[in-house]
Amino acid sequence: MADNTELTARLPAWRSARSITLPAAAALGIALLLALAVLWVIPVWTASPLLGHILRWLPALLWGMLANIQISVLAIALGTAAGLVIGALQLSPVLPVATVARWYVQIFRNAPMLILIYFSTYVFPFEIRLGSTYLAFPDWIKVTLGLALPASANVAEIFRGAIGGIPSAQWEAAAQLGLRRSQAYRWVILPQCLRRMLPPWMNLYATITMGTALASLVGVKDLLDTAQIASSTVNRVDFTVAVYFLTLLLFFLYCYPISRLTQYLEKKHAFH
Amino acid sequence: MSSTDWPQAAVASLKAAGLNYDFLLAASERAAFLHGLVVTLELAVAAIVCSLVAGLLLAAMLVSRHGWLALPARAFVEVTRNTPTLVQLYCAFLVLNMLITEALKLSGGNPLTPFLWVVVVISLHKAAFHAEALRAGLLAVPPVMLEAAASLGFTTTRRLWLVQFPLALRFALPSLVNNLVDLVKMTTVASAIAVGDVTYQAIMIWSQRDNVLELMLLLLIFFGLLTWLVNRGGRALEHYWRMPGYGR
Repeated sequence: MADNTELTARLPAWRSARSITLPAAAALGIALLLALAVLWVIPVWTASPLLGHILRWLPALLWGMLANIQISVLAIALGTAAGLVIGALQLSPVLPVATVARWYVQIFRNAPMLILIYFSTYVFPFEIRLGSTYLAFPDWIKVTLGLALPASANVAEIFRGAIGGIPSAQWEAAAQLGLRRSQAYRWVILPQCLRRMLPPWMNLYATITMGTALASLVGVKDLLDTAQIASSTVNRVDFTVAVYFLTLLLFFLYCYPISRLTQYLEKKHAFH
Repeated sequence: MSSTDWPQAAVASLKAAGLNYDFLLAASERAAFLHGLVVTLELAVAAIVCSLVAGLLLAAMLVSRHGWLALPARAFVEVTRNTPTLVQLYCAFLVLNMLITEALKLSGGNPLTPFLWVVVVISLHKAAFHAEALRAGLLAVPPVMLEAAASLGFTTTRRLWLVQFPLALRFALPSLVNNLVDLVKMTTVASAIAVGDVTYQAIMIWSQRDNVLELMLLLLIFFGLLTWLVNRGGRALEHYWRMPGYGR
């Protein structure tokens, strides 16, 4: 049976093809390709001022990237804090509370991120009055709030999924040991949830980070906005090509390690 | 009340409730908004179809035994999944499209429209996610099934198309539907390059009339409806394709 030997020979190959070496090699290849795209005209450089332009704009681009990171970190922090509360409310035995929490999650998980960013940008005031002083409410904070909304809804859902994934025998065993429900929750259930929640939470963080690029559409001085300004200021074809692919590369360099770490954690905890 | 003035009455009663939907009474703005809805629908449908086709091709490349197929596919998937869609759209529309325009300046201009670029970028973006889902589906097919098919005398190709692929598609279906829901929401980025989708038209109207909240509600309802439809379609397909012995 020629077919059969072929089958047994092929199956392990199919599986080993996705082992650790391929992604690592691919990552290297991607980095090289992107670097090539950025440096696509090395011979031209000596003759043209492209390198000079890139070096001149690089600090501004990195500064813009810092705004993206700042927005993403603050948004995920706010979103996680709010999401854990909403996730707990979703499981509340008080039915109206649980229903309102579910609606919140449904609405903000299904709303496009861009629309939520426009929403928070135009609906919140540009300053807040605190007594007699006026506090400025800058656009980047509004964008952060706009991204924290979907983040919180997704964290709530991740939390609910993690709780649902704990076998009910764990609750019963905790009760048998004499723990109250709140104690069982704190000392038995929650520690196991956190471990389960970490990979999807990191995925969410990467998604939110990529969502911060939308901030440029409402005028926040982020990486993409800086790239656009650079491109129109320098106004050269080769620089435009370089600056947009450099933007792509910078986002990739930030998000790819997070994604690799997530996959590693997923694999590590796959059988717990 | 005659049948012609019920829109006025509806808008007036909404206004009494604090919501300004006056633009619905202005023929040109109403037409623009409705056209935006149609454009978004066209975008979504075109991108759903293209993304599924491209995802299938990418998945085939990913699981290929030939490194020269698998490696570029893997690189493409990783870059696509780990960079913002908006940056990809700019790289395509502001860079590639510009280069094509430059190159074709003498031979009659660039035939590619912003609409087409959005479809291409969103399709390829989601194709990367589809490909990962399909790949996971292919790997989830129990080897025993393949051995059984082989022992029944299926050739390699027939085994792939009649046994492995149909099973993989069923395993991957929930993820694919999830990706399509994301795809529908992602069509909003088209507004960034003035394609004239519903988000763009809404921005045009609210920058004239300052009724952001009102339009936002309409957009949320519209996208809620679209994602709900995609979800329902997915559920129906899952039910239709359900396998005895799997799931509930």
